Amino acid sequence: MNPMIRKELRQRMRERRSWILPSIYIGVLGAVVAMAYFFTLSESPWQRGGDIQGAQIGVTVFITVVFAQLSLLLLLAPVFSAGSLTIEKEQRTLPMLLTSLLSPAEIWYGKFVSALLFLTLLLVSALPVLSLAFSLGGVGPAEVVRATAMTLLVLASISALGLYFSSIFRRSVHSTAVTYAAVIALTAITFIVFTMIESHWQTKQAQITRPAGVSAPEMPRYYSIPLYLNPFYAVTSALMHTRHKFPDWLICTLVFLFLGLAAAFLAFRNIRRRGESG
Amino acid sequence: MIEIESIGKHYGCRVALENFSLRIESGELFGLVGPNGAGKSTLIKILATLQPPDSGRARVNGKDVTAEPSSVRAVIGYLPDVPGLYQDMRVEEFLEFFADAFHLREPRRRQAVDRALARSGLERRRNDFVEQLSFGMKQRLVLAKTLLHDPPVLLLDEPATGLDPLARIELRELLKELNREGLTIFLSSHILSDLEDICTRVALIADGRNAAGLDGQSVLSLSAPSDSRVACEVEVLGDLQFATRASSGFSGAQLVSTQGQRLRVELPGGSEQGTAWLQHLLSAGVKIVHFDSRGPGLEERYRQAFEKNRPGGEQ
Repeated sequence: MNPMIRKELRQRMRERRSWILPSIYIGVLGAVVAMAYFFTLSESPWQRGGDIQGAQIGVTVFITVVFAQLSLLLLLAPVFSAGSLTIEKEQRTLPMLLTSLLSPAEIWYGKFVSALLFLTLLLVSALPVLSLAFSLGGVGPAEVVRATAMTLLVLASISALGLYFSSIFRRSVHSTAVTYAAVIALTAITFIVFTMIESHWQTKQAQITRPAGVSAPEMPRYYSIPLYLNPFYAVTSALMHTRHKFPDWLICTLVFLFLGLAAAFLAFRNIRRRGESG
Repeated sequence: MIEIESIGKHYGCRVALENFSLRIESGELFGLVGPNGAGKSTLIKILATLQPPDSGRARVNGKDVTAEPSSVRAVIGYLPDVPGLYQDMRVEEFLEFFADAFHLREPRRRQAVDRALARSGLERRRNDFVEQLSFGMKQRLVLAKTLLHDPPVLLLDEPATGLDPLARIELRELLKELNREGLTIFLSSHILSDLEDICTRVALIADGRNAAGLDGQSVLSLSAPSDSRVACEVEVLGDLQFATRASSGFSGAQLVSTQGQRLRVELPGGSEQGTAWLQHLLSAGVKIVHFDSRGPGLEERYRQAFEKNRPGGEQ
């Protein structure tokens, strides 16, 4: 086992937040599931004396939990990754690591895996909550696997991004702030940009007069480029059935893979150069 | 062996090292002294492969620090000027982690950790958290970590800084012992008496360049007593000016300083020159209450080399 992984996990599990965070995480997710369940029930025809389809509730609960889980993990991912190299600089242990026989790639890998493992722990601990949807129907194991796999990929890319910023800055507070800014850019700004593009497209199409029965053409896929960078869309795309040769989930996978690998490459380079700044 | 040839390093427009050269033989306990900002830490970081030089080359045990950094790391033990520690790890875990980081495999790993604990005197504290150790113990732990992989060369940047007198003595003894075991030790320090006690030779560095003492040497040999110059000091009764004038009449006497009723000079030659100078002063009528004669120590030679560069120093 990479000694960095063992060290990081040992130190992480000794922190108080190692049990506080999962507890809060499961508590919040449980509350979200309960709210989603009762809200769906209260809005259902059953309340008005009609029939209710358990599958509807199952899908609603599942989607709610998937998005709630992603939101929470996107909030937590920078905490584990963005400070992991800066802490070595702050406590002045980085020179000792760099003069050991650990390569920059091993140092990066140890930090990355330990950050991702903790996020995976949270993800796995929420699987029982997620699987509640099974009992209600409408959701199968395939959806759970696809949503979990895409969530993991998104978190891996965000962790790699956090590590990259951690390799640039000297202080954890700076690298964490910039990583949060990047997460906001990926989630909110990409969505806002896409909404503006879509609105522009629809306005343009509304101005074109068409013969009766001819509908407006479908929006070109390249208009959706900002969405491919959006973590929420990436997870949504993993649950969608599509007829495209290159489905959106594949594009999102490639985009997040590229983002993660580019961040990893730049982080290696920065770790190797670290000594130069004194 | 450490070979440094015309090393240069700049940080932006600031010169950290310029054309600095040095050769340290295998088995030497070698010191590096110079004022703050002289380039000592930069030089040691270059040797430790933490920073590449802008020009020149450096080799440790025949391995080039720029071309073969991994090979160099395998043969050096590096102690930074402000060493960091994982406070939330136990002493033994800390050493085990670095034993792993140096790719030591069982049973060598276990032996290395046990030996490091014994050498640093931390056997009883092996299960304590690092944060529970005193500063001196932490310094010993870092040094123990530095020795884990049995490196033949030690690069120590200000290892005695912040240590109490007893810890300094222990460190000196440990370094002597390691040197006797055959390790080449290159250390920088501001504590000249420590360097004088343990080093065989000392190099002078100022403004990133090789600095020279009054005798023109940039590397001072401390192992053999100098017989080329002798420093003498007298405490006189009465007029110090008169004593100074009398001293200037002695061939080769170079005034070093006057302070209170004390007059210090440096003379070419051995201790017999000091006796001759004393007789010269007495015969001139100078009343002397105290006389001391010795070869110039490291402190004296350091002062000679660097005082002229300080603001308000001799020009």
